[in-house]
Amino acid sequence: MEKPRIGIFSLTGCGGDQLMILNLEDELLDLLSHFDIKSFQEASSYEETTELDIAFVEGSVSTKTDLERLKEIRNRCKLLIALGDCAIDGCVQAMRNQQMTIAEKMRKVYGVEEDYYDVLEPKGLAAHVKVDIKIPGCPIEKTEVLHAIISLLHGDMPEAIDYPVCVECKLNEYPCVIIEKDMPCLGPITTAGCDARCPGLGLDCIGCRGPIKDEANAAEELNLLSEKGFDFEYIANRLRFFGGNFEEIVKLTGSLKKKIGEGGQADE
Amino acid sequence: MSRKIEVKHLTRVEGHGRIEVTIEGNTVKDVKMNIFEGPRFFEAFIETVKYDKVPDIMRRICAICTASHSLASIRAIEKAFDVKVTPQTELLRDLLIHGEMVESHALHVFALALPDFLGYPDVIRMTEKYPNEVKAALQLKKAGNMVHNIVSGREVHGMNERVGGFSKIPAEEELLKLKEVMQKVKPTAELAVKLFSSFQIPKFAESENTLMALDPGEKFGFLGDYVLISTGEKFPIERYKELTNEKTVKHSHAKFSSYKGRPFMVGALPRILLNKDKLSGTARELFNQHKDMLTHRNSLTNNLAQAIELVHSVERCIEDIDVLLTTGLRNEGLVEITPKAGQGIGAVEAPRGILYHDYIFDEKGCITKANVITPTAQNVANIEKDFQVAIPRLINQPEEKIRHGLEIIARAYDPCISCSVHVAIIKNA
Repeated sequence: MEKPRIGIFSLTGCGGDQLMILNLEDELLDLLSHFDIKSFQEASSYEETTELDIAFVEGSVSTKTDLERLKEIRNRCKLLIALGDCAIDGCVQAMRNQQMTIAEKMRKVYGVEEDYYDVLEPKGLAAHVKVDIKIPGCPIEKTEVLHAIISLLHGDMPEAIDYPVCVECKLNEYPCVIIEKDMPCLGPITTAGCDARCPGLGLDCIGCRGPIKDEANAAEELNLLSEKGFDFEYIANRLRFFGGNFEEIVKLTGSLKKKIGEGGQADE
Repeated sequence: MSRKIEVKHLTRVEGHGRIEVTIEGNTVKDVKMNIFEGPRFFEAFIETVKYDKVPDIMRRICAICTASHSLASIRAIEKAFDVKVTPQTELLRDLLIHGEMVESHALHVFALALPDFLGYPDVIRMTEKYPNEVKAALQLKKAGNMVHNIVSGREVHGMNERVGGFSKIPAEEELLKLKEVMQKVKPTAELAVKLFSSFQIPKFAESENTLMALDPGEKFGFLGDYVLISTGEKFPIERYKELTNEKTVKHSHAKFSSYKGRPFMVGALPRILLNKDKLSGTARELFNQHKDMLTHRNSLTNNLAQAIELVHSVERCIEDIDVLLTTGLRNEGLVEITPKAGQGIGAVEAPRGILYHDYIFDEKGCITKANVITPTAQNVANIEKDFQVAIPRLINQPEEKIRHGLEIIARAYDPCISCSVHVAIIKNA
């Protein structure tokens, strides 16, 4: 059988999802030997622009160049896999979507308002093209990506997780950090798959695997944390760390726009 | 007649960059290292966020130096609120940053830089001829990741290191296992030195370099509050703006760093050369053996300096574990924090050089202004200077050779473009 032709690409992000693949130190060489790697910019100078069976794409669409590259990759691949939060929903760089203009961001960071970079409001891949498989996480869990790749090699589609971190937290019998320690945990609305790593360390979940699609009740989370005494701005920022493109969260926290504008002398 | 030489997409680096050179006759007309990585505006969107989760977000600037960012961030916050941490916390942080150095340098030295010297496009294709070396290198990298896992909670974007200490103290058995692993991979770190000292390191980029590195105190290391410069000067990190002097350069719309109007270099070579007397153990012996090769005039020897730091870092991880276990691990909790309005600046030596985080807080402990200066942002001007120097020396070579030469220069610095939130503003024509 011919080896599947794959490409591993990145748009705007930290490179962490490609790195997690490279972090499969024990399985890496064996795993890659099952594929014909046509592109892996972070690890190889070899590059062949050709039809692909699978394209793994990490990073958010944050510039026009990102968008052009994404469309070009989509056109020549059979399966497109969104690797990690950036590629799924924009991740932390989408935190101020609809709250801060690009001109404002440019001025705060570069001291000029002109958009030199052709910046777009950061979005996941699916906002622009068809995505076949999503592997969540900031960064992705390496066992999850390994299992997904093995499934694909067997001709199966990997299974998506649709329950919250709380489920794994309970299975581990960790004490609930919201109830026991009054910590602002986002476990109830965050996609599981991390084995409740943060509560296991005595920490509150910051939501790095993104809100659960169609299931996350962000309004109730906001109520719960308000009752615990956290102020609105604190909770709103927290919900936005990984939820800046999540419709319900945007609706709930939109009023922050004015406040941030005032603090940063925004001109709108 | 003018001609253009281009490296369209730099590979085996972290992030997206491109090199463009314009030559007229035998003179270099223009050199640019363009960054077309999309900006993410961390300093803008972090405003109003309360200090407790600032490191968790800011570390996401970069995957490969995630702990460097979180530690720089934590140190800045602790300075702003006058927080003093315990000796155990300091030791665990020292272990963490050395583990990060092992992971990052192992990846860079073996997988990203070495293929250039052995004539392969990547480490995967190198495996056929050098299976044992590649496997050993992966185990060395894994040892660095083990530190991330045990101390920070996971390999990339961990969470266990906090403002005021560590949430969960590692178990004794974990540290013992880690020590065992470090002892096992030490020969591989030494192999890196052996390899890079056996290569003919090209001299086409040789020129004067100004070097900067943090003063680690008595022992060689990666945390400090003062900057040492090869001119003999020493500055507190609070004066980082005078040292980095970011400004916009017309030809490329780039923010470039300079010190006294000249580019400078940060990274392994500056650290090794400015702090050589603080090295100990095998790392010191290896430095003494190869010190003639390590010259401030040749930035391409940075890879050999990284290899020596690999040996140092493996040895230091073992040493830190020994001290932690001898003293006995205590579940001491986090230091209590009282936020207040004010500014804090923290710096660490990330794998690629000095990294500064600078925050201003309101009285509730929420960020009102943030500034981050990454090592790659500081190095870009020096990389371009090296291009300028190298091209006239390479000009009669075939274009492919020139292009490869430029890539070798860029890769020697181990540029981390994702990190360089600040590097350049380039209109993508």
